[in-house]
Amino acid sequence: MTLARSHPWLVLALAAACIVGPCDAGAQDAVSVAAPPATIRDLDYGDVLFHFFQDDYFESIVRLEVARDFGRIPHHEAEAELLSGGLYLSLGLHAEATRIFEGLLGTPVPQSVSDRAFFYLARIHYQRGYLDKAWRDLQRIRGALPGQLEPERRLLAANVLMAEGRFAEASAQLQNWSDQSSWAQYARFNLGVALVRSGATAPGRVLLDAVGNEPAVSEEQMSLRDRANLALGFASLQQHDTDGAVAALNRVRLDGPFTNRALLGLGWAEADAKRPERALVPWLELRNRRLVDSAVQESFLAVPYAYAQLASNGQAAQQYQLAVQAYAAEAGRIDESIAAIRRGGFLDAVLEAVPRTNDVGWFWQLQKIPDAPHTRYLYRLMASHEFQEGLKNYRDLRIMRRNVERWRDSLAAFDDMIAARERAAAEREPHKQQVLASTDLGAFEQREAELKRRAAAIESARDVVALATSEEAQHWQALERVEVAVQALPEGPQRDGLEERAGVLRGTLLWQLDAQYKVRARKLDKGLQDTSAALVEAQRRVGEVVQAGDLAPRNTAGFAERVQELVARVDQIAPRVDAATAAQERVLAQLAVNELEAEKRRLASYATQAQFALASLYDGAVARGAQ
Amino acid sequence: MKSHYRAARRRFVCLSALLVAGAALAAGRALAADAAPQPQDVRAVDQDVQTLKKQLVDLNRDLFKLEEELLYPASTQVAVFLAVDVGTFFALDSVQIKVDNKEVANYLYTDREVQALHRGGVQKLYLGNLKAGEHELVAFFTGKGPHDRDYRRGTSLKFEKAVGAKYLELRISDRVAALQPEFVVRQWE
Repeated sequence: MTLARSHPWLVLALAAACIVGPCDAGAQDAVSVAAPPATIRDLDYGDVLFHFFQDDYFESIVRLEVARDFGRIPHHEAEAELLSGGLYLSLGLHAEATRIFEGLLGTPVPQSVSDRAFFYLARIHYQRGYLDKAWRDLQRIRGALPGQLEPERRLLAANVLMAEGRFAEASAQLQNWSDQSSWAQYARFNLGVALVRSGATAPGRVLLDAVGNEPAVSEEQMSLRDRANLALGFASLQQHDTDGAVAALNRVRLDGPFTNRALLGLGWAEADAKRPERALVPWLELRNRRLVDSAVQESFLAVPYAYAQLASNGQAAQQYQLAVQAYAAEAGRIDESIAAIRRGGFLDAVLEAVPRTNDVGWFWQLQKIPDAPHTRYLYRLMASHEFQEGLKNYRDLRIMRRNVERWRDSLAAFDDMIAARERAAAEREPHKQQVLASTDLGAFEQREAELKRRAAAIESARDVVALATSEEAQHWQALERVEVAVQALPEGPQRDGLEERAGVLRGTLLWQLDAQYKVRARKLDKGLQDTSAALVEAQRRVGEVVQAGDLAPRNTAGFAERVQELVARVDQIAPRVDAATAAQERVLAQLAVNELEAEKRRLASYATQAQFALASLYDGAVARGAQ
Repeated sequence: MKSHYRAARRRFVCLSALLVAGAALAAGRALAADAAPQPQDVRAVDQDVQTLKKQLVDLNRDLFKLEEELLYPASTQVAVFLAVDVGTFFALDSVQIKVDNKEVANYLYTDREVQALHRGGVQKLYLGNLKAGEHELVAFFTGKGPHDRDYRRGTSLKFEKAVGAKYLELRISDRVAALQPEFVVRQWE
């Protein structure tokens, strides 16, 4: 970054990088990690994906953790673990993501899962500069990755090789890569640039030329094509191939993010070809643009240079004076910006200027550059990786702070709710005790036992009379009374006759009772079973009531304890979030001030060059006058 | 003027070299930007924020669990989910849910949510409580049907709520033969 800060061009290039680079990669990353299963077998996993697919990564990871704790996603365990790694990565938690991916690879998982885990580990290692580990991880991927991950894997492999200086191997990777996806184009572009940087200019230019002539439809494709043509143009200029440079730079769009740089390069190409009058065309166009752009600042020196080359020294002197004034005015605006940033609250102004969405995530991007006076120069910063990460952290912390406050309100409501439940339970208690006191289950149990004993005795003795109906029982009792009365009569034919008739009646009645016995015994048995079941149910209900009474205070106390513990955690974390937010703001403000001061030094340097050139022109005029 | 020209040329060469170097980074998925060392204070703050974010995730997890256990205990919990399977013949605008003839949810969808459903997400549309016993769920789907016509359809299900949590799924799918959308509701065990 020292080099980057030393020269505006590199900063500009980095700025351009972050607008479409890591953000796109990140988005692809996030989507691919959660390739939805063909069938959702656990609805809660689908719910996690529902939030994930809306880029609401914080909500998604929280729901995932909750669902796992409740054991609600048993059919998607490996996928869920992989997704959690991706989600933590999305939130910028690299260490946690690495721990998850490595842990996943230590367990038996399907190859489709392990391949993706290796890929993400490779990418983390590459981003951290551990190229050997990244290469090792990539080599462990056994099959083709799903969707856009496969071309991204190939690009990553090429990038690792290039970073290790293994250009021939990187070239070989690309040669077998036949598809025309944007990933392949990025790889070709990267390799072209790497080759030019390594001194292999000719093959590098061939690759850049190919990318620079690719048909482009999307903004990303057009932007990459512009970039390739810009790089090719400057590489050609290095080789003093001015015609090649002009051809490449003319292919850059007139209204894209690289237009200013192309216009400046185009002027230099014409100047290099000793055509200063043609160099003036792009440079004059450039000079009318916003002075915050380094290429525009440079044009204030380039224009008088061209006039000087055309021997229009008067115009050159006038333009140099204009440049000195413009640089001074811009330096004044920078001072205002620095003062505004040091007053604080500048990040709020930045965030106000960007789209408001509620998702917290790694891939959150600035969609447009704020142009408020105190954020006039910050577009370069905001496009830098370092600043973007800090700004995302700042924004995430602000969202999380609001989240903590919402929970604080909810916890207060939970507390009230638990208190209300306790009050309601206390109010119900006397009535409950009254009902319980009036319910003598013991007496019922005794009666049931007695009935069972009687039934068993009847069954074992086949006591058919015991199961007589009340009418039959009356008849039986009447018959017994008759028999006693008959026995009291004096012996003789009358008593014999009555005994016989009583015997017939007894036989008839017993026969009737015996005929009904089986049915009545079954009925008795069923009745006893129903009684037992009813008694068991009554016992259960009374038990529940008693238990509920015993547990109610304990349950609400359990919830109350949890609420208290969570309130304490909320109270403890809220000031830490505030402190981290403030620290993040300080760091970002310092980064911004550093950048603006560097910008001011650059402008001072330009002003010095303009003043020096002006002095040279005057010296020349004086010398010519003296002759 | 010769010295001025040389100075300009030097600047130009320097610019072009840096631009090419920068352009390599510009690919984003690229060479050295990510490996560049960060200032110590930036790293320290980033580390603190990472730790804090993890603790905030854990805190939110515990809060979510408490909320659900307190407000929607498993013994009475009923959850209604919405899934879209293909959904070529129907563009979803809103869903209304009635349980036992009482409206419990009326949800209007954003484009983003509809896209998330089409990509395989399943929305937990309603979470509530019901006593054990028989209940009826009625769902009304509003949107654009075939030929971009306004479309409103209902579907219903009688279900038995037992002691455990009850999961119900509303699913919008395509009935290809009839070129019509299909709306079903089913119980999950």
